[in-house]
Amino acid sequence: MNEHGVQWRANRALRHWRLPLAWLVLLTALTVGMAELESVFRWVEADSRQVIYDRADFVTLLGRHLLVVSVASLLATLIGVSAAIAVTRHAGQDFLPLVAQIASMGQTFPPVAVLALAVPVLGFGTLPIIVALLLYGLLPIVRNTLAGLQGIEPSILEAARGMGMSGGQVLRQVELPLAAPVILAGIRTSVTVSIATAALGATVGASNLGDPIISGIVNGNTAYILQGALMIGLLALTVDSTFERLTVRRISR
Amino acid sequence: MIELFDVTKRFGEEAAVDAISLRVDSGELCALVGTSGCGKSTTLRMINRLIEHSDGEIHIDGQPVRRFKEDTLRRRIGYVIQSTGLFPHWTVARNIGLVPRLLKWSPERIESRVEELMTLLGLPHEAFADKYPDQLSGGQAQRVGVARALAADPDILLMDEPFGALDPITREALQDELRELQARLHKTIVFVTHDMDEALRLADKLVVMDAGRIVQQGTPLELLREPATPFVESMLGGDDRGLKETSLVRVSERMQPPGQTLNAKARVHRDATLRQALAVMFREHADQLTVFDDEDRPVGELSLQRLVGVTRHE
Ligand SMILES: Nc1ncnc2c1ncn2[C@@H]1O[C@H](COP(=O)(O)OP(=O)(O)OP(=O)(O)O)[C@@H](O)[C@H]1O
Ligand SMILES: [Mg+2]
Repeated sequence: MNEHGVQWRANRALRHWRLPLAWLVLLTALTVGMAELESVFRWVEADSRQVIYDRADFVTLLGRHLLVVSVASLLATLIGVSAAIAVTRHAGQDFLPLVAQIASMGQTFPPVAVLALAVPVLGFGTLPIIVALLLYGLLPIVRNTLAGLQGIEPSILEAARGMGMSGGQVLRQVELPLAAPVILAGIRTSVTVSIATAALGATVGASNLGDPIISGIVNGNTAYILQGALMIGLLALTVDSTFERLTVRRISR
Repeated sequence: MIELFDVTKRFGEEAAVDAISLRVDSGELCALVGTSGCGKSTTLRMINRLIEHSDGEIHIDGQPVRRFKEDTLRRRIGYVIQSTGLFPHWTVARNIGLVPRLLKWSPERIESRVEELMTLLGLPHEAFADKYPDQLSGGQAQRVGVARALAADPDILLMDEPFGALDPITREALQDELRELQARLHKTIVFVTHDMDEALRLADKLVVMDAGRIVQQGTPLELLREPATPFVESMLGGDDRGLKETSLVRVSERMQPPGQTLNAKARVHRDATLRQALAVMFREHADQLTVFDDEDRPVGELSLQRLVGVTRHE
């Protein structure tokens, strides 16, 4: 490929990823430079002695937040996609109604309740929040994977089998690629919701971006709350817009 | 060669296919015709084991189909369906190369085979290879479907209403192409349709089904001349079946040596059907036609009497 082509591709990629990049830059700037905004927060919270949350630096909080969300989402994706695949196979079809029902109903169950149930069993710390996020994050993934797999035109599957593809070949080469946009949309919902919900972890002793918020509520410091909320919001926007670009790329081949 | 011996398929209590026996010889095109729900597709899909038969035996080249592994069997049998079932996320070339890839042919061999097939089916490689199925017309998509079925050069082809969704003109064009293809390739074909004219045009052997049973089988002419039941007769168009018969007989089969008086305008090619000859007579108000050959030489004449078979001794 010539130099011109390389540059053209780089330009296109940059244009394509402009929005997620913008959010990422903002997020990074805020993470390292929160203290620079002291005057702004001073204006919000004029009476407090301190306006910048400093019990842990934002880099650490962001890192812990990301870790919890990543572990939970990764597990949720693995388990959710596998479960949906299993119940759409011939051998697992007896469980399809059950799983489909749980997946569509489970979303009405509030994450706080999941957390409240998890703490007595798992104790305080990072584990209960991961479990809560995992359980809650499973639902959109299972639901969307089921919808994606079941939404494939039957004639395509008939042709695939009729041509002599094995079950595994049909799954890998036909079903998953065709269902991918819908599955990806489910993962996107799951991850975005997890990023917001993970803040609840601060209430059970898992330190992350929820800390400033909880601390702000406890101490009546609006500036702390704002800082936590801003960080979580920017993180959610960065991840969500990244997924959005990924989905668009897939659909337009 | 495909043989069915007393094959039955039950869905629950109901028999969708009821003890049918059928033999399709190598190189023969057998058309299954019947009203909707009579079990045509079920019969077809039992041959490549997309549906397992409940009773009886199905043999391919003398071997019971159950002796083969399903995938192995299906890779040896071409399968074409009405809605094409092309993979929307694959290019035309990749769709066509599916079975050779499953059979682990080398990439070069697959590529040249795909090109060969696209040429065979009138799809220029440069124009179509990288297109996606949603960029094709119905007729083009169905050609790709046929090419995909032919890719690994199977002896047997199963076609389930392959041209059913196409407009009449495209359908006829594809029927003609299939006929030419079959004249060259001599596949053993089972062809499901509910269009009787299509079946008459294409079939060496015609099988009429009703409610899961075979009502009559034979050559198109045999069925047209002696339909076994009123149902077969009505399937063949009732009184119209005489006219359908004229589509199956060539002028050269009925003409006499040329006489003295040659009519310049009322003329017909020796390979035309009697139906076309009849149309010329009607148009020219003539009861006698001159028959000519490829070099435009008069080679015979055809009278209305001979056309309708007054002198036939059959
Ligand atoms: N998987 C199935 N489960 C239950 N019944 C079925 C199944 N497949 C087909 N049938 C029934 O078997 C009968 C024959 O169906 P089949 O598809 O073979 O008909 P067909 O002749 O191909 O009809 P058409 O011309 O409409 O395609 C129908 O009554 C149909 O309802
Ligand atoms: Mg059918």
